[in-house]
Amino acid sequence: MAHKNEVATDRRNFLKLASVGTLVGGAVAVTGVSAEAAVTAESQGSGYRVTDHVKKVYELSRF
Amino acid sequence: MQEVEVVSGARALRADPYRIAEEDRLRSQLYGLLGLLLAREPSGEVLVIVRNLQGDDSELGLAFQSLAAEAEQFSLAAIHREFNDLFIGVGRGELVPYGSYYLTGFLNEKPLAKLRIAMRELNVRRSESVKEPEDNIGILMEIMGGLIEGTFGDVADEATQKAFFDTHIGSWASHFFKDLETAEGAHFYRPVGRIGRLFMEIERTAFSME
Repeated sequence: MAHKNEVATDRRNFLKLASVGTLVGGAVAVTGVSAEAAVTAESQGSGYRVTDHVKKVYELSRF
Repeated sequence: MQEVEVVSGARALRADPYRIAEEDRLRSQLYGLLGLLLAREPSGEVLVIVRNLQGDDSELGLAFQSLAAEAEQFSLAAIHREFNDLFIGVGRGELVPYGSYYLTGFLNEKPLAKLRIAMRELNVRRSESVKEPEDNIGILMEIMGGLIEGTFGDVADEATQKAFFDTHIGSWASHFFKDLETAEGAHFYRPVGRIGRLFMEIERTAFSME
């Protein structure tokens, strides 16, 4: 990738060029393993973990 | 009450998981993965995810590949044994994965108290089932991922992320991951240590930029 030789001048560019982007495939499913969360929102009724999107990701992550 | 209003306002924002940039989504997922592997013994579901990891030919990508390969070599029971030997042990494990221990030499010291205050401010608490002190490396990874993703309310802005990282993670996590990478009892967890070390370097560098 030509990108790799570019010099990152700001944080956003750096993160894009850094290899965080190499985590692909199965990593998407990480979001779905919500039942094992060690932390949760202090106020109850936090909607995030039960949104349809998360449910969908969870279903997709079942191999 | 004001706090409730802030939180319910944030809930509306949470409906769209793609509101954060791609690189932030990846950061959040990597923090989440480290959390799943370190906050407690990984489940079979997590093991399947890890076996499916892929990476490119960068140093971090190679570490993903090596973790995926290790995951094929070990049964869940063997990984649980390794987890216990490394982090729990009889009396104590080979490593003590807590910020307070790394920063002061003792558990449950001032760094933990500071973390608990920060967590209250950020609307985060331990799940009911979790008994470990909150400065456990896996719990911290999960909190950081949640801040980026907006799991606890608003997506944390860069200043909030940086403050949390610098105070509660950046000060010791690299040392822990280096120890994990070289721990005698680490086999499956060796590439986890390497991934963590490389990722902390990326985060530290990124946060030092404008």
